[in-house]
Amino acid sequence: MQEQKTNISAYLPLRARVEKVSRLTDREKLFTVSVPTGLKLRYSPGQFFMAGLPGYGEAPFSITSACLSPEDTTFELGIREVGNLSAAIHRLVSGDSLWIRGPFGRGFDVSGFAGKDALFIAGGIGMVPMRSLIKTLAWQGAGNKYTVIYGAKTPEELLFRDEMEGWRDKGFDVKLTIDKPHPDWSGNVGVVTTLIPGVRLDPEKTVAIIIGPPIMYKFVIMSLKEKGLGPEAILVSLERRMKCGLGKCGHCQIHSSYVCQEGPVYKLSELKDMPEAL
Amino acid sequence: MDKDIEYRFLTHAGFRKFISCLIDGFVVYGTIKKDGFPAFGPITDSKDLVLARTPTHLSAKEFFFPQREALLEFDMASGSHSPIVESRDQVVIGAHPCDLAGLGLMDRVFSTGSTDVNYLARRERTLIIGADCMPDDYCFCESLGTETIDKGFDLFLTEIKSGLLVSIGSEKGEAILSKYTKPLPPKDVHLRESAKALEKKKRSFKARLSAPKEELPGIYAKSDAHPVWEKIGAICYGCGSCNNVCPTCYCFDVKDEVTPDLSGGERVRVWDGCTLEEFAKVAGDHNFRRSRADRLRHRFNRKFRYLSDKFNSLFCVGCGRCSRTCLVKINITEVTNELIRDARTEDEYLGVPAAARKG
Repeated sequence: MQEQKTNISAYLPLRARVEKVSRLTDREKLFTVSVPTGLKLRYSPGQFFMAGLPGYGEAPFSITSACLSPEDTTFELGIREVGNLSAAIHRLVSGDSLWIRGPFGRGFDVSGFAGKDALFIAGGIGMVPMRSLIKTLAWQGAGNKYTVIYGAKTPEELLFRDEMEGWRDKGFDVKLTIDKPHPDWSGNVGVVTTLIPGVRLDPEKTVAIIIGPPIMYKFVIMSLKEKGLGPEAILVSLERRMKCGLGKCGHCQIHSSYVCQEGPVYKLSELKDMPEAL
Repeated sequence: MDKDIEYRFLTHAGFRKFISCLIDGFVVYGTIKKDGFPAFGPITDSKDLVLARTPTHLSAKEFFFPQREALLEFDMASGSHSPIVESRDQVVIGAHPCDLAGLGLMDRVFSTGSTDVNYLARRERTLIIGADCMPDDYCFCESLGTETIDKGFDLFLTEIKSGLLVSIGSEKGEAILSKYTKPLPPKDVHLRESAKALEKKKRSFKARLSAPKEELPGIYAKSDAHPVWEKIGAICYGCGSCNNVCPTCYCFDVKDEVTPDLSGGERVRVWDGCTLEEFAKVAGDHNFRRSRADRLRHRFNRKFRYLSDKFNSLFCVGCGRCSRTCLVKINITEVTNELIRDARTEDEYLGVPAAARKG
């Protein structure tokens, strides 16, 4: 599945099979997708697939599962229904085909988390790729201090709540928040940044990861700086429009960097001279 | 005259015969007069070819990277996809040195990292015959070192009084020239006339950049907050014409086109442009380059700075097409010279104690 020099079109997708579809919220569904037998599926958390359907085109979708074994033949995509393509994908049922290319991009360097505490900060659909990283690190079980801060507009929009007990069992401290008061909610109210001051962390050994809507990054970064975290200790995953995944079409370019190749995961320090990034 | 290049001489009549032979054997495109202006078009008669002195409106990129091309075809019932690689033996005549420099950059883009079979197939099957030119008010290739070129063509034509001086750029070019014509070795007088024409061309530039090209990435890197972006952003229509006419703009959209009976269709790529409003917009209508100033800054930086790290080259070849075509007369040399002027002023300020400054 790795990109290589070939005379076969890099645009030719592979037929993958939808094994299972489960509804996450009103707008998001979780798709378990399998690749043909004999194909080695390797990906890191933070990477994405270009997924499409004939007649509807293709778009980048974050992987939400963790690649834990070289024997894996399935992966998961969490997809929000926002346009024609995602609506068509939402109509798929198990047994249907989904056409994929990838995985693409630079994901999280999992080895970089060894011996580190981690603060995972996700907003909205940002939990989709974040879950891949959380599951990967949970599986490693290194006994470090892991804190998850996750916010959405309403309680219904919080993704994967049913899995969070399992994360807590693995030692993750999971803190949730919603933007505005809600009758069914007794937890924290306010944007994710409101939960950061209350987190106790050792700035010398903590890595913070931010994935969320574009507006979230600047404010979260300011709060993390107040906590003493430097730009080497902050990782972000950036969303951009993408049409090829191959570093050609230009849509994802930020300054000199093609997000589909060098991203979507960046250290904040790498974005120092790229004011357009955040 | 470049001493490493071999030259041949063709009479005007010999050249016309050569073109006729090419028309018999290949699909031939070349420079024609279209509504009185130089343009690339199909050549079906040797008389159609009019070697243009000044730049064509569109660059030659369309022959390698067409405005629309199919990448895949698919069947809606089975879902199967198959790749499409469109290419045929073709000849492109009349590309100027700036176009050839642009093409060299496109070659690098489409062969670096993931190779692009569609582009490379077209490139492989195209014979390129370049032609010399004279600058108009917008040409500034001399400031970027692309006013002459010694590679990237199979043959290159310089018109002189008694005929054409032909530079040999490749074995393929030489073979086809010898196959269809009886080229003569050039006489000294021909080479002298061609050298004179080049000197005249170098003297004729009206548009120039006021800094050496090596300094441009650094000057652009200092200019993100320069007021010129707001100034030109305020008048830009966001029409994307500058992207379309540029020989090195290669950004594209990929989309599906379904047949009217919904049985199948094609996944196609079409030119896209970073100055268009939708270009960096994602789901939820968030636009990462919201203003026209943002988008213009991005486009100019792509030409002079962003891609220079990756390809060790500027991505502007000085053809002046973007300035020539701009409806509101945003001019790439004027904008760049404004940045150069202010970057230098800033440098002087940094080097000179405040007390010693005048004014």
